[in-house]
Amino acid sequence: MAPKRNSLRISVLSAAAFSVAACTSAVVIESEFPTPLVDTLPIAIGLYYDPELRNFIHAEALPRSSTWTIDLGDANLAMLDPLYGTMFATTRQISELPPSPLELTDVDGILSSTLNVYQFDVPRSTRDEFVEVWLQYRLQLIEPNGSTVIEWDVEGYGKAEIDGNREDAVQRASIVAMREAGARISTQFVQQPAVSDWLKEIEDARSTSQGA
Amino acid sequence: MHAQHHRELSKRSMRILLPAVIAMPLLFGCSTTARIEPYKATDAVLEAGDGVVILARRHHSTHEAEQDFIDCIAESLAGGKQEIVVHDSTEFEDTLYPWFEPSTAPLNMVDMSELLDRPAVAERVKDTGVRFLVWLDGSTDRVASGGSITCAAGIGGAGCMGLAWWEDDSRYDAAVWDIADLSHSGTIHTDVRGRSVMPAVVIPFPFIARPQAKACRGLTDQLEQFLTTPTGYGAGPEEIG
Repeated sequence: MAPKRNSLRISVLSAAAFSVAACTSAVVIESEFPTPLVDTLPIAIGLYYDPELRNFIHAEALPRSSTWTIDLGDANLAMLDPLYGTMFATTRQISELPPSPLELTDVDGILSSTLNVYQFDVPRSTRDEFVEVWLQYRLQLIEPNGSTVIEWDVEGYGKAEIDGNREDAVQRASIVAMREAGARISTQFVQQPAVSDWLKEIEDARSTSQGA
Repeated sequence: MHAQHHRELSKRSMRILLPAVIAMPLLFGCSTTARIEPYKATDAVLEAGDGVVILARRHHSTHEAEQDFIDCIAESLAGGKQEIVVHDSTEFEDTLYPWFEPSTAPLNMVDMSELLDRPAVAERVKDTGVRFLVWLDGSTDRVASGGSITCAAGIGGAGCMGLAWWEDDSRYDAAVWDIADLSHSGTIHTDVRGRSVMPAVVIPFPFIARPQAKACRGLTDQLEQFLTTPTGYGAGPEEIG
């Protein structure tokens, strides 16, 4: 009797595992992001990437649909690191916030990046043809003395045609949204009033010290 | 005896139904109608060393030109009689990142002119060899559908009966920008409607119209003329039955 019960249990567990596996969509966002064609600011920046940003995984069970896990950790760094590398004359990674005095040597400021929000929509109806992704990065520019220059939320929106494979469409829509956020960061960073004032202060301080 | 009678009946019904199946698409119309309206404002044409890039307008929330349609136009233009040099759109967008993303792409010639005021951008565009930007805007949508097909299965076999139809509309605008002259050279509007029918007599017989493929062919032919013919182009709308 016992072997029969065991085999039944194994069958039930296998069926459950199969149904769970069959209803889970796992996407790892992978892409090479282009280097932006923007003017380089003559400043040295310490870059802090929040651990959540580095290991970001979005998990969501869509009603009457499957459970999704979307891994953006590596893609976040693949997008932001070359972006900042072009935007600023010198960059250096900072391991923790607040940074150690050694890490603060020769940097004009610290730029902390986090991924605040990631939302996506996979249509259930066959008439809807697009997957949509919306995400929001939060950038915080901090002076070496610890005071915040600006906290800036940068959004990115992307959509991708469902061409048979929904996971592939989520991948493409996420990349479009990330590129869009990267485009905003690289083109609008210096246009933020607090940032332009801060850059002017740095420039003035340098002129004064050179004059002295 | 019974089986032979059944076979005879089947043969007779097929003799009646087969011509009906063939006649149905003619009666109900598996058809395509196309309207192409070209307009060219300048005499500018491609010169030696000039290239073209086909880009999708992606700032609308409701629609976006399909990537396979963009690829179809680009490949057909490159493989056409005029052997036009067509640059890969993704490569062009990557080379000029972040200036051709949905939120940053120039929407008009004033924006384009401001973008080219940036020396690095102007230099990079020059390096690509692209003279004309072709902005594709539009999509293919299902505009109507109707009819029904019922299928049933039994011990003796399975079969379907009925008629389904649908109509797709491919509407695209191709706006051509001349980077050398910093001018909007013109626009080609394409509207192709195709009605597909699928009668089912035991098995379904699909008669599918492909308006998107026809729009691609029509638009490619017009673009080829547009980019290589200085005068006598854009006489008016062209209708294909």
